Amino acid sequence: MASQVTGQGIGASLIRKEDDRFMRGRGGFVGDIRPAGTLDVAFLRSSFAHAKLRGIHIPSSIRSRVFIAEDLGGVMPIRADTALPGFKSSVQPILATGKVRHVGELVAMCVAPTRAEAEDIAAQIEVDYEELPAVHDMLAARDPGAALVHEHWSDNLYLTTEIDVNFEAAKAKAKASVRRELRTARQVMSPIEGRGLIAEWNNRLGQLIVTSSTQQSHIVRTGIAECLGLDEGKVRVIAPDVGGGFGYKGILLPEEVALSWGTRKLNRPLRWLEDRRENLTAGADCREHHYVLTAYADDEGRLLALDCVATVDAGAYSAYPFSACLEAGQIGSILPGLYDFGHYRCRTYSVATNKPPILPYRGVARTGVCFALEVTLDALARELKQEPSQLRFKSMVRPEQMPFDNIAKRHFDSGDYPEALRRCLAAVDLDAVRERQRRGERDGRLVGLGIAMYSEQAGHGTSVYASWGIPFVPGFEQCHARFTPDGGLELRVGSHSHGQGHETTLSQVAHELLGVPHEQIKLVHGDTAETPYSTGTWGSRCMIVAGGAVAEACDQLAIRVKRIGASLLQAKPEDVRLEAGEVVANSGRISVAEIARTWYRRPQELPVHVDPSGLEVTAGYKAKRDTGTFSYAAHAAVVAVDPATGEVEILDYVVVEDGGVLVNPMIVDGQIYGGAAQGIGTALYEEMAFDGRGQPLGSTLADYLLPGPTEVPDIRVFHMETPSPYTRFGQKGIGEGGAIAPPAAITNAVNDALKGLGCELLDLPVTPRRIVETVAKACREKSAR
Amino acid sequence: MKPVAFDYERPRTLAEAVRLLSTNADAKILAGGQTLGPMLNLRLVQPTLIIDITRIAELTRVEEDGEAVTLGACVTHASIEDQKIVDPSNGFLAEVAHGIAYRAVRTRGTIGGSLAHADPAADWLSCLMALGAEVLLTGARGKRRIGVADFMRGALDTELEPDEIMDGVRIPKLSKKARAGFAKICRKSGEFADAIGAVLHDPERGVLRLVAGATQGRPIIIDPATCPIDMNFPPPLGPVRKKLEQSGLAADVYELNIHMAAIARALDKAHAQ
Amino acid sequence: MTAITLTVNGQSVNAQVTPRTHLADFLREHLLLTGTHIGCEHGICGACTVEINGEIARSCITYAVACDGAEVRTIEGFDDDDLMARLRQAFSEAHALQCGYCTPGMMIAARDLIRRKGGLTGAQIRTEMSGNLCRCTGYVGIVRAIERVMLARPTLSLPTASPRKPQLGPAPGPQPSGSTAAETKAQSATVRLKDASAGAKTGTTPRLSAGSAKKRRRIKVETGSVEASGGATRLTQAFVLEHPRVEVWRLMADAEAVARCIPGMHLDGPLVDGRAAGRMEIALGPIKASFAGEGLVVSFPNEFRQVITGAGGDRKSGSSASGEVAYRLREEVGPAGEDLTRVEVELSYSLTGPLAQFSRSNLVRDLVSRVGENFAQNLDARLSMPDGAEIAPARLGAASLMWRVAVDRIRAGVSKILGRPPS
Repeated sequence: MASQVTGQGIGASLIRKEDDRFMRGRGGFVGDIRPAGTLDVAFLRSSFAHAKLRGIHIPSSIRSRVFIAEDLGGVMPIRADTALPGFKSSVQPILATGKVRHVGELVAMCVAPTRAEAEDIAAQIEVDYEELPAVHDMLAARDPGAALVHEHWSDNLYLTTEIDVNFEAAKAKAKASVRRELRTARQVMSPIEGRGLIAEWNNRLGQLIVTSSTQQSHIVRTGIAECLGLDEGKVRVIAPDVGGGFGYKGILLPEEVALSWGTRKLNRPLRWLEDRRENLTAGADCREHHYVLTAYADDEGRLLALDCVATVDAGAYSAYPFSACLEAGQIGSILPGLYDFGHYRCRTYSVATNKPPILPYRGVARTGVCFALEVTLDALARELKQEPSQLRFKSMVRPEQMPFDNIAKRHFDSGDYPEALRRCLAAVDLDAVRERQRRGERDGRLVGLGIAMYSEQAGHGTSVYASWGIPFVPGFEQCHARFTPDGGLELRVGSHSHGQGHETTLSQVAHELLGVPHEQIKLVHGDTAETPYSTGTWGSRCMIVAGGAVAEACDQLAIRVKRIGASLLQAKPEDVRLEAGEVVANSGRISVAEIARTWYRRPQELPVHVDPSGLEVTAGYKAKRDTGTFSYAAHAAVVAVDPATGEVEILDYVVVEDGGVLVNPMIVDGQIYGGAAQGIGTALYEEMAFDGRGQPLGSTLADYLLPGPTEVPDIRVFHMETPSPYTRFGQKGIGEGGAIAPPAAITNAVNDALKGLGCELLDLPVTPRRIVETVAKACREKSAR
Repeated sequence: MKPVAFDYERPRTLAEAVRLLSTNADAKILAGGQTLGPMLNLRLVQPTLIIDITRIAELTRVEEDGEAVTLGACVTHASIEDQKIVDPSNGFLAEVAHGIAYRAVRTRGTIGGSLAHADPAADWLSCLMALGAEVLLTGARGKRRIGVADFMRGALDTELEPDEIMDGVRIPKLSKKARAGFAKICRKSGEFADAIGAVLHDPERGVLRLVAGATQGRPIIIDPATCPIDMNFPPPLGPVRKKLEQSGLAADVYELNIHMAAIARALDKAHAQ
Repeated sequence: MTAITLTVNGQSVNAQVTPRTHLADFLREHLLLTGTHIGCEHGICGACTVEINGEIARSCITYAVACDGAEVRTIEGFDDDDLMARLRQAFSEAHALQCGYCTPGMMIAARDLIRRKGGLTGAQIRTEMSGNLCRCTGYVGIVRAIERVMLARPTLSLPTASPRKPQLGPAPGPQPSGSTAAETKAQSATVRLKDASAGAKTGTTPRLSAGSAKKRRRIKVETGSVEASGGATRLTQAFVLEHPRVEVWRLMADAEAVARCIPGMHLDGPLVDGRAAGRMEIALGPIKASFAGEGLVVSFPNEFRQVITGAGGDRKSGSSASGEVAYRLREEVGPAGEDLTRVEVELSYSLTGPLAQFSRSNLVRDLVSRVGENFAQNLDARLSMPDGAEIAPARLGAASLMWRVAVDRIRAGVSKILGRPPS
């Protein structure tokens, strides 16, 4: 393989191609683009969570610069219906129609030469609201008689699902059980760059061009065309440099539809850049789950069964394309974790509330599920007076069982889960921590150790997503690859990078197979006019599916290059090989660049029976099975808790991760560090509270706390490498994993620290106030006994 | 969000600034803008006129007499952090300044702006109350001087009259043997404090003062006059806790605990000097 | 528009800007220096960090007009800087960036740190860099990159401090007379007098103690626990007035008189059937709001109890407030056998809209409880001066909040937000 010569293919920690432009301030983000004549947009958003719109009063002096629902004739609302039976459909208007259903919902679009002036216009509009009771709590929303988010529904449930695998039979066998009620907070994904877009109508092309900070330009294109009733060919969507996504930009936005409509109406480019206030007050759209989970075990602590009722606060509308039910759908299938047991029941509710529509955030439901399961397992271990890791070893799927079909029909492809935990315990030095706990701390703090494990299904395909019912089931990914006349290589993929470094990693795949120097490999992505259709960048799928498609395309190019090369070297095609960018035969060698020059500029030298398809191909990737790869990890946190102030210091944080074959280990580490930092945010800091009227209680980053450099420790990452049997290079998806386990590991560590005080934290985030109040309550109860 | 439209004036003298302020109803004073800027950008504050006082030379003065050092109101946190001023506090002010927000905020945020805004979580309020500093106010009707403790009435509310500008802060010089300590408890570095403890023990000047700051309103001042402690250092924590309970923190165990912890840490730091 | 002259990346720039244009927007939209990124516009995330006169600053909360005469340096101005070149290499090798959006601000802050300090530990570097948020990298690579360059610091030729005289205030600070464009304008500007009516309406900051108030007895107000539920914040207060209950009730039954004791409260006209339109003005520091709406007073004379509810909207902020004050008078006997009245007040309020959407609600609580205290003082003063004429309309900080004026935008004059009928 080429990389054995250059050391720059699969497995190389290659410096990123993207870096230089970003470090010189020369990235091209959406806000950096301003076509001539652009007008800025400010939206007037609902200040109420739930209200009837009695009237919108727009002074006549500004009427021509304000657009409300009644102006948008013929524009269709956004619908994202799942295929699962019993789903209740929501209709998300582009601009509020009749009613508003969450704070921040779009009411009017205001247009002016600058954003400031557009905001001046918005401030002149008076909206006459009739406030309705806000459905602000997902549990209360399930109660009979609760106010209805969608008044024509019979209740507030998008969907209820139930899995039951011989559950009742477990109860007789169980010798121990623990039941816990756990809750995760509503979060804001908070990429540092907000959403934003520019829409312009190009008369020459007869085409709407939308430049949007999105993870999935092709899906946005389909959605805009559907809502505006345009032929899809008349819509082009370009994703420029995207300043972080994490799922926040994996959606068709009402703003995208509104500006797309508005630019035709006004015949001017329109630009909207989300600001932080909009992001926080209208974009708190992920993670809020509630669990009642019971774990049953035999008298040695082997897991026999799980019984769960999970509720997901899915917000006011079913968001496009992943719907309101992806999270609940995932919960049932991933709750069993890495464990092998025989009985299982899980009921899920996807609940409509007067909050922003839920979107899948890095880790999607796994973060909540891992938290619920792993915290409950620790409670079980405490109940049985066992070391939490020992309890897990007894029930974990063993390497000799691989590949393994679990109780929820997940097909684990490969790995050694117990070994990951063993290595993790060794790295964190369990015995030393236990000894330190016995000794106690001079400053009165309490030390605790927590572990958590998960697996992360990634790159899974059609059958899995179809079973979750999402409206946009991914199929097969393609890459278009071509040599340029100077021997350079262009790769075109429909996914996009918002920090993952695809320009580098996909180049590594191509370099591995074709040996073209990296500086001559150019990735084109994120532009619907330039790339094959793709559902985009999400679900840790790109290294598997886009990487796989690049490999397929390069393989086919290699065949063609070798045929031409063989002919030019007067060798038989089967006697040549491709090596470090050259076709090599016994008779000599010729560079790929020379072959490209021959193809384009001296075709008279080509063999007579040359394949006329030339040096460009579009090839697709089909996994050996589409059940996906399962990367996995063991995380361990050591914390010191001050029971008086509730302060938590992370003393050590260890990750032992198996992501299969790593294409670029440096970038993989970066994904783990970054994911873990977000997980620490989920664990300790991030929470968008809503009051009883559905008002979000935060509009700045001083209210909603993102972890900064002092909140994230020097995370230690160790790798195992069990190739996936189903992917091209044995690679697995790892983009989300870092964010999955920290809430569970850290909460377990805090609970381990506090176990002597007889209390547990079960709500995220584990804030100082929650800790102090929980400790105080435990002390009161103790003294009352 | 962007601010509402406003007019902008940049007077060169304090008198001119006072005149602008007293003749424009919805005028706001702008110094470094580190607090006002976000409020303007959120349209929480909608002034018709912004009076930028950073060009007034008098407001960056540093004056020293036998008892105190006076800093102009526009002296930045960074100037104090970098010890560009005459220091009355044996390095204490620089240490406090270093802990305010972030460097890029400290280079423009000013000591006067921080005091005038009177956010209970502001470091200077608690610190300067402990030191017994005074603020100097200039208005249409003349100049006056008020102790920082009396200057703040409540959360975001001060004795400043609508036509008055704070022009400086007078900070008493600490004795050589004085011990001062400052500690705060924040959810994360640089963000609003949830609790502040500030301590001064200056036996030569007969001062022992503890301040519990970042409460919901005025910081709580604890000294031998208001609390059964004497001049011995460190003071026992029992009476201090009692005083905090009596001052409205009893109902909230978290608030009480973190304020006690902040004071204890400030005492530790002062003790260590 | 205001004319400004400044230096950006070594080039002199003359421009006309509106005063509300912040430096980041000016750099990006006017000068097309788009490397300065906007992440929050609240001075928190650090993406917009630039240098002003050699010190790092937030360009999103610094206004372009304030930079008249300043030297500004953006990420584009560091291309040929040796220290920045070192940092670029270290950042790339340590994988200190992913999406690249925070990177320009991060690098400018990192360079400034290394310029100013050496020999820091990893933990110290983290603290020093805490003003720059990154959502992608988890900071591991960033800290490593800075550590690496800082280790090499003794061998680097560090940027020398600017030769200008040290500034103690925000840059650019006082300058020679007439040196810059805006200065000239300021000098020629005449003092403007706003029209008198506007001044009269909002001319003074509403505050707790009216400036004209006579010396008053200080009434001690006990404030009970505060709780938040159902979107409302509730608190109780109690105080004792040195007047017999009948007398207090006589005053309290006169809702208009009571309204005059509530700081910030203004009724548009007399009560009709217990209802009146009016507004509640509050000031929370520089934040001012005027909630216009309607109030309703319901009396229960047999119980010496009254319930006042109100709701209104603040046009400027797009916020609304609603609130309820319920009080009951109880007879009490003083130490010398005199008749006293204990007033027990239950307050509740809730907000919607921008003014509600903050986490630091305790600042509002402080105001509300102080409104209650002020109300008690005013009541006492009025009782002591039966004609009450000299008591100026009470003013104060957060008064309107306690009145809980609900927020809908109410069309001018036609509101009927509130309402339980009198029972």
